[in-house]
Amino acid sequence: MNKSFSDKMKHFLKSWEMVLICIMAAEFIIFGAANAKFLRPALLLNSMNDFMSICIISLFVTFVMITGGIDIQAGAIVGLTSIIIGVSWQDFGCNIWVAVLIAIVVAAICGALSGFFIAYCGVQAMVVTLGGSFLYAGIALLISNLASTASYQGISGFPDSFRILAKYKFFGIVPSQLVIFLILAVLAYILLHRTKYGRRVFLVGVNPQAASYSGINTKRVIMSTYVLSAVSAAIAGIVLTSYLGSAKSDLGSNFTLNIITAVVLGGTLSTGGKGSVVGTALASMIIGMLRFGLPLCFKVGTQYLDIPVGILLLVVVLGRSIAGNSSVIRLMAKFKKSKAA
Amino acid sequence: MKKIVKTREVSSFLFLIALFAVVGLINPSFLTSENIISCFNDSVVYIIISVGMAFAIFIGEIDVSVGANLGFTATVVASMLRDGQNWALAFATGILIGALIGLFNGWGVSVMGVPSLIFTLGTNGVMRGMMYVYTQGAWVENLPADFKQLYSAELFGHISVIFVVTVIMVIAVHILLKHTKRGRYFIAVGDNPAGAALVGIPATGTRVAAYVICGIFAAISGIVFASRIGFVTAMSGNGYEMKAVAACVLGGISLSGGVGSVIGASIGAVIMASISRLLVFMELGSTYDNTITGVMLITIVVADALMQRRNAEKNRRQRLAARTAAAGEGGNK
Amino acid sequence: MPAKALLNIKNIYKSFGLNEVLKGISLDLNEGEVLALIGGNGAGKSTLMKIIMGIYQHDSGEIYVKGEKVTSNKTSAALASGIYMVPQEPLLFPNMTVEENIEIGFDKKKADLHKELVELIDSVGWKLDLNRKAGSLSIAEQQMVEILRGLLRRAQILILDEPTSALTFDEVESLFKCVEDLKAKGIGIIYITHRLAEVFEIATDVAIMRDGKVPVCGKVSEFTREMLVKGLLPPDAQEKEDTIKEHLKKVDYTHQKPVFEVQSLSGYGFTDISLKVYPGEILGLAGVVGAGRTELATTIFGKDKVLSGKVILDGKDITGLSTRKVIEAGLNYVPEDRHYHGLFKISDIAVNTSSAMLANPAMGKFFLNRKEEYQMTQKYIDDFRTKVTGQEQLVGSLSGGNQQKVVIGRCLSTSPKLVILDEPTRGIDAAARGDVYSIIHELREQGVAVLLISSDMEEIIELSDRVMTVCQGRINGEFTGDEINQDTLMSASFGITKNAEVGA
Repeated sequence: MNKSFSDKMKHFLKSWEMVLICIMAAEFIIFGAANAKFLRPALLLNSMNDFMSICIISLFVTFVMITGGIDIQAGAIVGLTSIIIGVSWQDFGCNIWVAVLIAIVVAAICGALSGFFIAYCGVQAMVVTLGGSFLYAGIALLISNLASTASYQGISGFPDSFRILAKYKFFGIVPSQLVIFLILAVLAYILLHRTKYGRRVFLVGVNPQAASYSGINTKRVIMSTYVLSAVSAAIAGIVLTSYLGSAKSDLGSNFTLNIITAVVLGGTLSTGGKGSVVGTALASMIIGMLRFGLPLCFKVGTQYLDIPVGILLLVVVLGRSIAGNSSVIRLMAKFKKSKAA
Repeated sequence: MKKIVKTREVSSFLFLIALFAVVGLINPSFLTSENIISCFNDSVVYIIISVGMAFAIFIGEIDVSVGANLGFTATVVASMLRDGQNWALAFATGILIGALIGLFNGWGVSVMGVPSLIFTLGTNGVMRGMMYVYTQGAWVENLPADFKQLYSAELFGHISVIFVVTVIMVIAVHILLKHTKRGRYFIAVGDNPAGAALVGIPATGTRVAAYVICGIFAAISGIVFASRIGFVTAMSGNGYEMKAVAACVLGGISLSGGVGSVIGASIGAVIMASISRLLVFMELGSTYDNTITGVMLITIVVADALMQRRNAEKNRRQRLAARTAAAGEGGNK
Repeated sequence: MPAKALLNIKNIYKSFGLNEVLKGISLDLNEGEVLALIGGNGAGKSTLMKIIMGIYQHDSGEIYVKGEKVTSNKTSAALASGIYMVPQEPLLFPNMTVEENIEIGFDKKKADLHKELVELIDSVGWKLDLNRKAGSLSIAEQQMVEILRGLLRRAQILILDEPTSALTFDEVESLFKCVEDLKAKGIGIIYITHRLAEVFEIATDVAIMRDGKVPVCGKVSEFTREMLVKGLLPPDAQEKEDTIKEHLKKVDYTHQKPVFEVQSLSGYGFTDISLKVYPGEILGLAGVVGAGRTELATTIFGKDKVLSGKVILDGKDITGLSTRKVIEAGLNYVPEDRHYHGLFKISDIAVNTSSAMLANPAMGKFFLNRKEEYQMTQKYIDDFRTKVTGQEQLVGSLSGGNQQKVVIGRCLSTSPKLVILDEPTRGIDAAARGDVYSIIHELREQGVAVLLISSDMEEIIELSDRVMTVCQGRINGEFTGDEINQDTLMSASFGITKNAEVGA
C-alpha cells in the first residue's frame, strides 16, 4: 500500500510480465531485422485484425484457468455466435443488433450450461468443454442448415453499420478490433484484480476448500467464469463476423491451441490460483505477432504455425515444471549460496 | 469367459443395438446385413485409436495428440510406400514414430508432471505442423493398390479381414490387461494411486508405458487410415483425438481413471463410427453428427460423475455412522 | 520356548525439516505376538509405520526383519520381506473385484492363486464374495480384503492401523476372532488403536508412544488400565496441572443466557449432542481423533447435513444454514486441517486475512476496498505478533504457528460471537502456542464464546472453563473446576468413565 514507487518498479521488473515484454521486444527486433516491412505501423496494426479474436477470448479463459478449470469449447462458441447472427439476420429478418444480442445470450447460456455441469455436478472441466465443443459446433452446423445459402459459402451482405464495427480505423490507422480488445482488457483487468469478484476467483483457484470455509460460494464462482469466457467468445465471434463480412459456423474451430497457449504463456498456472490479465494480453499479442511475423519475414507457410505455438506451449509448461522441481530449487539455492560466498 | 461380460460394456453394447433398432424402425431399409456389417467394417480406424486412448484414460490422464500422431504416421508410411519402400520397413518406421511421440508425452506428463491435456495439446500442435513440413502441404497419393487392398479385403459374407484382425487384437489386449500382472497395473494406477504404491506398483513406469502404448496404437490406426482412404492430406486425422475420447466415454470408461476395458472402448468406437451412417438412414444428414456426439458425451460423463459422487458420499456417511453406532451398542452393554 | 523375533526396531530417529517426529524408538515383535501401540495424535505412530513399510526413510537407527538388517527403503522390499500394513482408511482399488484386489502384483497363475485364496479364506473362516467390486464393500469388509492381501503375500508381520475405528460392534468381534487366529498361526501383529479396552482384549504386548518416544512397554498382563492412562500423560502432568490451574478464575454461568446452544444435534459422525456455551466462556471439547468432534463443528458450520436437532446462536436458529449465512450470523470456525481447509498458500497474508470478509460491505460493494483490507490485515499482524516480512509475503512461506495466526485472524475478522477452534495448536512450536493461548484468553476477556476442540489434554486443561468429553460420537462426560484434570479427561476420552467402564 505505502510502497514506494521504486519498490513497485523493482517488483515489476522482476515479474513475468516483464519477461513477456522482453520476448515481444525480441520479436520486433528479429522480425524487423529480417524484414523491415514488419515494422510498418499500418501493416502491423492491420495484421492484428487476424488474431484479435484469439486475444479477446484468452482474456476471459484466464478467469477459467485461474479457478483451476479449462475451456476448450470457446472456439466452438465463436462459430455458433457467428452463424446465429447470420441466420437470424438473413433468414429470420431480425435487426442486426437484435441478432447480435441473441447471439450473446445464447453464448451465455452455453457457458452457463457447461459451467453448471462442471461446478455443480463435479465433472472435469476438460471433458465437459470437450463435449461442449462438439455440441455447440454441432448446433452451429444445424443452424447453418436453416440458412438459405450453402453453409460453406457463409452468410454475407451485412449492413454497413455492422461491418463498420470491425472495419473502422481510429485516426485512420488503429483498427477498431484493437480498441475493442484494449477496452475488454481493461475491463477484465479491473474485474479480476480490483473487484471482490476477482478476488473470489483467485481464492477458489488457490484452495477451493479454504474458499468454501471462508463462506465463498465456490460453485457459483466457478460457473460464472465459464459464462464470462463464453460471452467473450461471443464478442470474438461478433467481431470476427463483422471483420470477415461473412457468418460461418466453423469460425474459431482451430483456436483452442492458441488460446490455451496464450493463457499459459501469460503466466496462469494450469493448476489454478495464479494468473494475470496483463500477462495473458501480452502473451496473446506475442503469439499473434509470431503468426504474423513468421510468414512475412521467414516465409513460413501459415499451415506450419501450429508448430511454433505448440513448441512455445511445451517449452513454457516444461520450463515451469523444471523450475518448480524441488531438486532444481535446491540446486539453485546452493548455486546462489556459493555465489554469495 | 464370464469376466468379459461386465455391466458397463454390456450397457454400451445394448445401446449400440438399440441404436440400430431405432434406425431400423424409422427406416427398415437399414436393416440389411450389408449395412450393419459396413458399420463394423468402417469403424476399424476408430477402434484402434480408441483402444490406445483407453490406456491413457485408464491411468487417469488423456492424450489429445493421437489425432496428429495418426496423421503424421499415415503421412510418413504412405509416402514411404508410394516411393516403393519395403512394407515392413514402412510399418516399423510408423510404429516407431508413434512410440516416440507416446514416450515424449509420457515423459512430460508422468515424469515432469505437466497436466496431460495441456502437454498433449502442445504435442498435437507440433505434430500437426510437422505434417505440413513433411509433405509441404501436398497430398500423398498413388499408394500401391495392394496396400489399399489391405483394408478392403473381405473374408466371408461382407466382413473385412482387417475388422476380424482388429477384433482378435482387441480381445488379445483385453486378456493381457485383465489377466497378467503388469496388465493390471494400468487400471490399478488410475483406480487408486496411493493404493498402488502400497502394493509396490511402479507408478511412473506404468504411466509412461500407457502413453507409449497409446502412441503405438495411434500409429497403427494411421497406417490403417492410409490403407482405407488411399491418400493422406495435411488435414488427415484432424479431430480424431476428440472422437477417440468420446468413444472411450461411450464405451463406459471413466475419465477419472481406473474403470473400463478396451472392449468397451471398441464398442464406443463402433457407435462413434456408425453415427454418420445411421443419420443418413434417418434422413437427417450427417450435420447432426457433432450435436449428437456432444449430447451423448456430456450426458454420460455427467451421469457418471453424479453416480460416483453419490457413492463416495454414501461411503463417507456410512463410515461416519459406523463410528457412532459402535458407541451406541458399546455403551448400552 | 522362546518365540522367534520377527521385527526389531532399534533407536529410530526421524525428522521432517526441523520437526523431530521420532526420537529414538525401539520396539520388538516376536512370532505370535500382538503388540498394541497406543498414543495420542502426533505421537509419531503413523510415521513409524511408514518407515517400517519403506514409504519413508529413517534418519538413523536400525530395523531388523527376522534377524536381518533392512537395507533397502522400497515398499516392494518391505512387502517381499513379509511385512504388510492395513492402513486406517483401506486403500483398495474400488473398481476392481475383491479377488483382483487381493491378487494384484502376483506372478503366479491365476488358477493357482484362486485356489490358494479360497483355501486361505476357508482357513480364516470368513464369508466374502470374491466377485464383488471393492467399492461396494463396507469398511470392515475392506479391511478383511486388506488383511487377506497381506496373508496371501505370506506376511508374517501385519500392521493394523486403528482397524476398529470405523467398524460396528459385530464387525469388531469378527476382526478380533481373526486376530486370534493369526496369533495362533505365529503371525506377529502390530495393532495401533485408540481404545484401551481393545488392548486388554486381544494384545499380548503393549507399547505407549508419546512425543516421538516409547516411555512405556511390556506384557499386557503387567498393566492395568490406570497404568496405561497414566503412561499416556506427560511425566510432569501432575505438577503442571497445579500451576496451570491457578489462573483460572471461577465464573458462575448458571444464571447467564447462553450465546450458543446445541440441542440434541445428530449428524454424520455424531449423535444426540447437546451443549451450551456462555459469553466469555471457553468450553473444551476433549476426545480422541475420530470421536466426531470435527464432524460436529463442520456440520454446525454448514458443511454437512444435519440429521436432527437444533443449533441456536444468540437466539437465532442457524440449523442447516449455508457457511456464508452461518458466518454472517456470527459464528466462525478455525478448521482442524489448516493446510487443506484453512490456507491459501500461494496467496499473500492480506488475501488470506480478508477472505472471510469478502461478503461484508465493509470490504467494498463491488470494488475491493484495499485500504480496509490493508488496515484489517495489519491489525491482526500487530495484535497477534505474527512474524512476517510484510503483508505481501506468501502464506505458504510462513512457519506453522504464523500460518495458524493468519487463519485465526481471518476467522476473527468477521467479529463472531462464537468461535470454534479445532486443534488450534496442532503442529506449531511452543512460542506460537503461547501466542495462540493468549489470543484465546483475549477473546474470553472480550466476551466472545469459544468452543475449543482439542486432543491435547494439557491444552484443554489450560484453557477451558468447562470441559465436555466426546467419545465415539456422543458426549460422555462434563467436567468443571477441579474435575478437569488429565486423568479424568483421558479416561473419558478413551471411553472409560469413572463409574462404569465402557466395553467392560
